[in-house]
Amino acid sequence: MSAEVVARKTESRWKLSLDTWAVVVALLLALLVRAGVFKHIPW
Amino acid sequence: MADVITVPQVQPVQPALRFLRVIPGVLLLAAVGYAGKLLEQNVGGYAKAHHWTFPNIEYVLWAIVLGLLISNTVGVPEIFRTGVATYEFWLKAGIVLLGARFLLGDILKLGGVSLVLVAIEIVGSLAFMTFLGRLFKLKPKLTTLLAVGSAVCGVSAIIATKGAIEADDEDSSFSIAAILALGALALFTFPVIGHFLHLSDKAYGLWAGLGVDNTAEATAAGALYSDAAGKLAVLVKSTRNAMIGFVVLAYAIYWASKGQAQAVGNKVAFLWQKFPKFVLGFLLISLLATYHFFNKDQVGALANLSRWAFLLTFAGVGLRTNFSDMRKQGLRPFAVGAIGEIVIAAFTLGLVIGAQKLFHF
Repeated sequence: MSAEVVARKTESRWKLSLDTWAVVVALLLALLVRAGVFKHIPW
Repeated sequence: MADVITVPQVQPVQPALRFLRVIPGVLLLAAVGYAGKLLEQNVGGYAKAHHWTFPNIEYVLWAIVLGLLISNTVGVPEIFRTGVATYEFWLKAGIVLLGARFLLGDILKLGGVSLVLVAIEIVGSLAFMTFLGRLFKLKPKLTTLLAVGSAVCGVSAIIATKGAIEADDEDSSFSIAAILALGALALFTFPVIGHFLHLSDKAYGLWAGLGVDNTAEATAAGALYSDAAGKLAVLVKSTRNAMIGFVVLAYAIYWASKGQAQAVGNKVAFLWQKFPKFVLGFLLISLLATYHFFNKDQVGALANLSRWAFLLTFAGVGLRTNFSDMRKQGLRPFAVGAIGEIVIAAFTLGLVIGAQKLFHF
């Protein structure tokens, strides 16, 4: 198996869907709020 | 000299470059959304100061209308398109963060009622759209796509089903155009009908979540009525979205049995692949909020983050809606979609009014 194929397989294994990315980003933001990094979010 | 055919080399786009490409469009979403917010604050204040009778127009509507104006007059230049397409990402992140405003008990209570209504809505809508497709002699796979788009969750359901039943690109473009055009109409008609019928926030939120197909439009249609209606519309729409895997799996098996699509191998893996993960994120944040992982100020901060994410989404809904592109897709699928949507809207309204009398909300 060529290095390129291996690299592509590894890449596709780690490729997240848009849905999953949205969850990851939202959870990260929630943790930052919980940790006090963002104390006040204005609206 | 021999003819030389030059085959263009497809270069993989580097992640950093991909990130840079979304920046102009995201900035446009932010500018349009923020302009909507400023208009909400200033137009109302200006009208009041000059003693004009002017309805209070929420930022949601301003952002959508500004987006529609840009998209249908000067158009969205190519450089912004990749970033504008991220509105789906902001929508899903916003829904996950909105989970902080729900206690798990409320979700189970409301989710139980909405689950029953969603099941009735999905079965009724699939049956009616299939009947309409046959009546108008649409291609069977086009009928399937329109039925799934109307019954479950708009564009995402159409894209998921297209892959599973091996439908044509043309059929999916037709269905997506019809669902988007009708979603845009629902944005403006649902709140008017809701106010005309004096629906409560709960009843309207349930109706918007059940009757509007695309998640972005359902969220916007709910938020246009009231904050509480917007919250409920998102909850009901997410319940509908959670059903996507089962409906797509059923259609995939049906078309495979006719020898017109590949057989589904591992059904559990198929369901997981199609399941909208943001529903799990929403439930997780709600679980954390229920068990006081966040204090009151932090819940407020998360709610505001969710509002900012929705602000970008609403701007994107307007910016990606181009009526002349939709007209090019033809009238018949649109007519089937329109008749179907009107009947489904009336049917779901009847369901909600019935449930309201039964459960006294």
